[in-house]
Amino acid sequence: MKKKKSAGRFFTSGYLILVLLFIYLPIVYVMVFSFNESRSMTAFTGFSFQWYESMVNNREMLESIKYTVIIAVVATVVSTVIGTVAAIGLSKARRIIRSIVLEVNNLPVLNPDIVTAISLMLLFLSMKIQRSIVTLTLAHITFCIPYVILSVMPKLRQLDDNVAEAAMDLGATPWKALTKVIIPQIYPAILSGALIAFSMSFDDFVISFFTAGMDVQNISMYVYSMKRFNPSVNALSTVIVIVVTVILVLANLIPHLKDKRMKKEEQY
Amino acid sequence: MKKNRNTPKLTRCFLSLLLILSLAVTAVPALGEAAEDFGGATLNVYNWGEYIDEGMNVIRSFEKKYNCRVNYKTYESNEILYTQIEAGDSAWDILVPSDYMVERLIAKNMLQPLDKSIITEEDLSGLTEGVKNLSYDPDNTYSVPYLWQSVGIAYDKTKIDPAVVEEKGWEIFLDPAYAGHTDMYDSERDAFMIALKSLGYSANTENEEEIQAAYEWLLKMNSAVNPFYVTDEVIEDMSQGYRWLALIYSGDAAYAISQNENMEFCAPKQGTNIAVDAMVIPANARNPRLANLFIKHIMSYDSALAISADVGYASPNDRVLQELSGPGGDYEGNSAYLPRFGYEKDEIFHDSQVLQARLAELWIKVMSAK
Repeated sequence: MKKKKSAGRFFTSGYLILVLLFIYLPIVYVMVFSFNESRSMTAFTGFSFQWYESMVNNREMLESIKYTVIIAVVATVVSTVIGTVAAIGLSKARRIIRSIVLEVNNLPVLNPDIVTAISLMLLFLSMKIQRSIVTLTLAHITFCIPYVILSVMPKLRQLDDNVAEAAMDLGATPWKALTKVIIPQIYPAILSGALIAFSMSFDDFVISFFTAGMDVQNISMYVYSMKRFNPSVNALSTVIVIVVTVILVLANLIPHLKDKRMKKEEQY
Repeated sequence: MKKNRNTPKLTRCFLSLLLILSLAVTAVPALGEAAEDFGGATLNVYNWGEYIDEGMNVIRSFEKKYNCRVNYKTYESNEILYTQIEAGDSAWDILVPSDYMVERLIAKNMLQPLDKSIITEEDLSGLTEGVKNLSYDPDNTYSVPYLWQSVGIAYDKTKIDPAVVEEKGWEIFLDPAYAGHTDMYDSERDAFMIALKSLGYSANTENEEEIQAAYEWLLKMNSAVNPFYVTDEVIEDMSQGYRWLALIYSGDAAYAISQNENMEFCAPKQGTNIAVDAMVIPANARNPRLANLFIKHIMSYDSALAISADVGYASPNDRVLQELSGPGGDYEGNSAYLPRFGYEKDEIFHDSQVLQARLAELWIKVMSAK
């Protein structure tokens, strides 16, 4: 009996390790080769920082990173606001309207990117809007909104309607009820919606490619256009992985620490 | 029109005076040359990815010289470039398409002639023989070569005797001895070029029988050497010595050879394709004067040297070409750097969308045949 249990445990942990390897091995591979001395992607010849140096000196790459971050931040903020407001509104709407809008909201999520991309491009062209960083950002906002709604909606369903009503009974204006009562309760869902939006915008290639004008190129477009790959792309990926890891660790640690401190204060 | 006729005489006088004045004002700076100041104007340049000197000092020096900003963006294929500009909402000042694409752009009236008062006969006389008088634009009315190269065979000379490669040329891809050790470039135009050339036909043929014969040749090649169909992986494969034999662009071969001394390059005796990427100015460019100055700047010895040395493709500038391939140059003794020229069997691709479509259709069949 005991033996069987440990065999089961061995199997589950082995399986877990396999899954983790599958996910993280490629990333580790990329990171290792960012320190390669030669240009090769398959043979490690020695340790060097030269690709980090060439990344920092690569004006085109730096410019595309700058644009990628700006667009991702703007798209995240705007789509999070629009998506959250839409979700709150929908939660108060009639059932039939809500289900219709949510179905419509699912369409762009299920639609292949290429269809969204081409239709946005044709829309801009037919309206004689010159493609530029503005159309690119608009496109990013467009495809981010459904994800925010999808992320916020379930949390709203769990909310007790009475709490907001109680707040208004006690003299809060609707605006105050929204900002002081509803939003704090759904905050984690908004944050996760924003994170999804940010990463969707950050790594998008297809939609960006068709909606960007000649004034802007994001990092995916830049990497795609490289005639010959070189490890400065690995260097860039390594930096991004590290930044994302730090952000994730902080995002998980800070609320935890806050909780602890609050509990401590309560004890006194 | 009608309204115009009713304008009072005085106003018309005033307007024409204004016109003359404004013409005079714009003409003045042109007289007082030196390095012109463009007051921070933007020049939009669309080039291939990774196709300029590292650190882009060529661009920086141009910006400094003319007080302008270069918006430098990159693409990865002629077809993508064409789709982007055909959409019609962009106004690039400089493009760098390949030969056959220049031909198409000229035919569609999408380019403007170069300003020969800026890009002078003297500048053009610095071009090397191999890129003078090219069929798509013989007198450089619309284009000036940026970099050029040929297509050929890269091989590991420790595994294959150079004499055999020289003797067989493209036929070497039919030798089963190299099965499992061969890279074939996954590009229908290039693959059909080697088949057509082997059979003694033109790479630009639209004769269905000749195309059919080339298709048979490629099927034979596919079963003989069972190649890996690759694109840019070929550079890594040859640099690391993973393969013995590959169809390759000479510019990429030059890089592979610089990394791995066992590698050698051969321009086959049956003739090959000479590929030229050229700078052109679209008809709707916003800043044609600056664009012409940019082309002149790229043609200069310093810029041409920096670009060719870093990219590894042959320079159109004769002095640079001699220097880089000559004694003490970066590519001394590199058999791939200096493309063969003046060989009568070599050709430049012509633009033919019909041919392209037909070859693409057949090429899929070749690659999927087992």
